[in-house]
Amino acid sequence: MIDLRNVSKRFGGMTVIDRVNLSVEEGEFIVFVGPSGCGKSTLLRMIAGLEDISSGDLWIGGERMTDAEPYDRGVAMVFQSYALYPHMTVAENMGFALRIQGVGAAERRRMVEAAATKLHLDHLLDRKPAALSGGQRQRVAIGRAIVRDPKVFLFDEPLSNLDAELRVQMRIEIARLHQSLSNTMVYVTHDQTEAMTLADRIVVLRAGRIEQVGRPTDLYDDPDNIFVAGFIGSPRMNFLPGVATGPASIRVAGVDVQVPGLGTRLAREQAVQVGLRPEHLTAPEGVELPLAIEVVEQLGAMAYVHGSLAPEAPVVAEWRAGRPSVGERVPLRFHPRDLRLFDPEGRRIR
Amino acid sequence: MAAVGKRERRWLWIAAIPMALLALSCIYPIVFAINNALKTSKGYILDRFGMVTDPTVQNFADAWGRARFSEYFVNSVLVTAGAVGLLLLLSSLVGFALAMLRFPFRRLVFVAILGALMIPIQVVLVPFYRTVEGLGLLNTRVGLVLAYTAFFLPFSIYLMTAFYRGLPRELLEAARMDGARFLEVWWHVMLPLGRPALLTLGILNTLYCWNDVLISLLVLQDRRTLMVGIAALRGEYTTNVPLLAAGIVLAAAPIVLVYLVFQRRIVGGISVGAVKG
Ligand SMILES: Nc1ncnc2c1ncn2[C@@H]1O[C@H](COP(=O)(O)OP(=O)(O)O)[C@@H](O)[C@H]1O
Ligand SMILES: [Mg+2]
Repeated sequence: MIDLRNVSKRFGGMTVIDRVNLSVEEGEFIVFVGPSGCGKSTLLRMIAGLEDISSGDLWIGGERMTDAEPYDRGVAMVFQSYALYPHMTVAENMGFALRIQGVGAAERRRMVEAAATKLHLDHLLDRKPAALSGGQRQRVAIGRAIVRDPKVFLFDEPLSNLDAELRVQMRIEIARLHQSLSNTMVYVTHDQTEAMTLADRIVVLRAGRIEQVGRPTDLYDDPDNIFVAGFIGSPRMNFLPGVATGPASIRVAGVDVQVPGLGTRLAREQAVQVGLRPEHLTAPEGVELPLAIEVVEQLGAMAYVHGSLAPEAPVVAEWRAGRPSVGERVPLRFHPRDLRLFDPEGRRIR
Repeated sequence: MAAVGKRERRWLWIAAIPMALLALSCIYPIVFAINNALKTSKGYILDRFGMVTDPTVQNFADAWGRARFSEYFVNSVLVTAGAVGLLLLLSSLVGFALAMLRFPFRRLVFVAILGALMIPIQVVLVPFYRTVEGLGLLNTRVGLVLAYTAFFLPFSIYLMTAFYRGLPRELLEAARMDGARFLEVWWHVMLPLGRPALLTLGILNTLYCWNDVLISLLVLQDRRTLMVGIAALRGEYTTNVPLLAAGIVLAAAPIVLVYLVFQRRIVGGISVGAVKG
């Protein structure tokens, strides 16, 4: 549906998007995720036609759209600030694109009402945006996109202006919308939870480059590099310094571990980074590492315990049994198959 | 609101005295004009400053008819309306472009317009006159409309640009995504949203155009606008102060009316330029 071929964006001398290649399937829900300033919005706006493409090519629905006008691309966008027209009612906002296209008033009303029903906006059609709550404005912004029935929906951090509770609610609503509409959606967020919960596939961006593309669980279980491993998952993966003691064995935090299923042969004395997720540190059996608890974040159903296994190696573990307390010494246990190895440059060793 | 203590109240009274004097100095000429417009010439000569004893409207009739104010009035209305309309149209278009669109040298254009704002009219009078003459626009109302537009446009553009800079760019982008071309964005989004600034600008420009003597005197020499007509009254009818006063009242009445109707807008609009420079 969308094809990005070697797409780059330069502002002055600064390269903000660097030779991005990506194929989005029809009906797919794609999420761009990455830290603030990594170029997510810029990439989205290039697909929308709001930013020029410095080099490379953009194809949408089998047509070359690199230089096409925004409207001609058949995409609709929901802005972070909603960008509703303040002087128009909800109905006028939603019907604006149709009006520009020359759709008659009666037909327009019918289409706006159909979209409004989907989003539970029926009773608000005659209000101005100023008289709406944040969540309602958000829905109007989505409604404005739906009315046009575009090939592709683009969302730029649509939930970041909402409070936490509403954010969860709207997230579910957007997921539901995608199921019922089955249009292609491209969604930008810096929140990895939103990415994990909404995406068919996630695109992790860093400094204008794609770090990895894949299904949420693939990125979570099988990250290509230390950046993706650290970015996806909350709390983030623990990284401990280690050293190879044989082709498939390492020493980490003072214990020797045999690493199963490793394709690469490790060189003796090679330095490695050992990644372990918090929920993998409280296995019933496995390699044992003693931890002195320094901080406990108690959430009720579980707790996150913080401590360090070695100098400069803070660790967080997810704790579900009992009520751990500060100062306690507890054994962390993990299964060797759950650890992920990275080389000193951050590349995954598989 | 905090309670005002006795001592502070005394200070308030002291501050009130100069303010009252200031207000008086504004109001007195109006009272003087109305008062004398109602006197006969004889009545005026006998008692210049006293209250009118037997009011007459003859002066108004004379000014309107004999002194050709009806004709001047039409000129003033046409020229002011034309210039203000043109000013609003152009400043809203240019302000939108300067504030929201990206094009080469747009900053330079803005600086040049600001520069034009700094040039006093008097400095360019001679080249201005030559230009109007050269274009064959001397003694035409169109010439005066264009002259007003040229002189008041820099400020108008500055104000509209500042106003539109205060609006989020995403409105433009949303409209572009909705399929609106630039002129459609302007017409459907920017023009309606610019209403408060346009109203302020309309009022200010109406005042400038209506009250102008200098430019009008240069461009419209045979036919006159109201303010020029009044200025001329002094020469031709040196002694007839009541007639002059009646002319002034007639000329000021529409403007005072505009002021009363839009009072709050004018005061509110003074801060419009302060949105963002
Ligand atoms: N119009 C612009 N001019 C210059 N630099 C820009 C412009 N827009 C964005 N950038 C830069 O591009 C980078 C990526 O921005 P953006 O796409 O907004 O990041 P994100 O949405 O991921 O937070 C940032 O470093 C930002 O400063
Ligand atoms: Mg962004």
